[in-house]
Amino acid sequence: MKQTLLGALGIAIFLALWEVVGRTQLLGISWPPLSDVLEMLADPGKYALFRRALSATLESTALGYAWGAGAGLILATVAHLLPILRRGSDRLAAVLNSVPSIALGPIFLVLLTRESTPAAVSSIHVFFIVFVSVGSGLQRATPAHRDLFAVLGADRVKRFARLELPAALPSLVSGLRLAWPAALIGAIIGEWFGAPRGIGILIINAMQNFQIVLLWCAVLLAVAASLFFYGLLTLLERAAYARFG
Amino acid sequence: MRPLPLRPLLVRLVEDYWGILLLLVAWEAWVMANSFNPIVMPTPTAVLGDLVSNPGIYFDNVGITLMIAAFGLVAGMLVGTGLAVVAWFSPIASGLLNPLTVLFSSVPVVALIPVIARLLGYDTSTVLAIVVIITFFPSFVFASSGLRQPPPGSEDLFRVLGASRLALLRRLALPAAMPNLAIALKLASAHAILAAMVAEFLMGTTGLGYLFAKTKADFQTERAFGASLVATVISASAFLAAGWVEKKVRERYS
Repeated sequence: MKQTLLGALGIAIFLALWEVVGRTQLLGISWPPLSDVLEMLADPGKYALFRRALSATLESTALGYAWGAGAGLILATVAHLLPILRRGSDRLAAVLNSVPSIALGPIFLVLLTRESTPAAVSSIHVFFIVFVSVGSGLQRATPAHRDLFAVLGADRVKRFARLELPAALPSLVSGLRLAWPAALIGAIIGEWFGAPRGIGILIINAMQNFQIVLLWCAVLLAVAASLFFYGLLTLLERAAYARFG
Repeated sequence: MRPLPLRPLLVRLVEDYWGILLLLVAWEAWVMANSFNPIVMPTPTAVLGDLVSNPGIYFDNVGITLMIAAFGLVAGMLVGTGLAVVAWFSPIASGLLNPLTVLFSSVPVVALIPVIARLLGYDTSTVLAIVVIITFFPSFVFASSGLRQPPPGSEDLFRVLGASRLALLRRLALPAAMPNLAIALKLASAHAILAAMVAEFLMGTTGLGYLFAKTKADFQTERAFGASLVATVISASAFLAAGWVEKKVRERYS
């Protein structure tokens, strides 16, 4: 209870500081007061603009998230069942994770379309996180459990479906939680390479046209989209740990 | 002298790098099959060719980006660990800081680059600030949880022996946090160079990200991909090196 109060106080102090710094222009005109930003967010005239940008970005993020998570899950499972592929797939994933996102943009632009580039960049980010977390999760079953399954005569497939996969669920869900902000970042960077609309486009345009308040609005929308789904996935993670942890 | 065992070496090479080899071969074949203009999409061999024949152009920019990333990584880890120690000393500070850091650690940081650029100006200090922010969050989160997880019973022993709070920090909590800090280093090191590159790309100042943006705009696509290739190799090496450090630290401290 005391921790919650202190936490709320911490956030309140942060928001109050934001407002004061903006009002007194302590950091110049590039730091608008929080109230100005919220006012523009609530402006009915801007509503259509924000909704279009947010829905485009969320759509790309969700698509990239699904593709990346699927690919990560499949490759991690294959590498687990065929250990000979393991080292090579680990290295592939590490290298894919090391490719700068701004280089992925132009590649997907040629490979796909302008509209699907954000989702593709986003899926690469998600793939790595899910691949790593599922890979380590599949090894979480203890030797004692493996021995028990061997004694009871379970074959490789049964052991995987009944023991290793359930044991990997908590770390899969943790991976899914951490992957959401990464997916959103991928979508925003992907949008810089010619997407018709989205939060990333809004951010770049506002930055280049010195529309400071609009820039902060776009950033706040991105933060809100990140936090909302991150919160939901945190709840899912707790449930998974309670059942399978 | 016996001849080198060539076959096992090849098998090992394929086992370790089949994924990357497959990717490169597919890329080369894809460009060949579509006969893309090199301006649109060069082959990996052409990218490598440009890299080998003009190393000087890459060298300066790599140096700048690498220095900013390394400096930002160290600064971010120091600030993160420092704040974690403050939170460890004071329950009030920890109560105030914890929800804020949870909040911030899920913020898409690239969205903040334009804001920070407007505040600090379009130069190197903004790139540095981005790297510090990127590395700050993992080190704060991992250091905080590490400081609070000394081996069971050890804290009581220190209390019984009359250790001061400072001695407790230096001799128990900080060593106990070392493995966690090594994980934070691993997470942050690969991202430090990539974050620096995105910031340089957006602001167009100096470094690898600038080289990418400029050559891309001038239709020198081979060089743009060359810059990305260099960044990929550095980032992957940083990740591997940090993994090695993590292993050593785990052996030493746990």
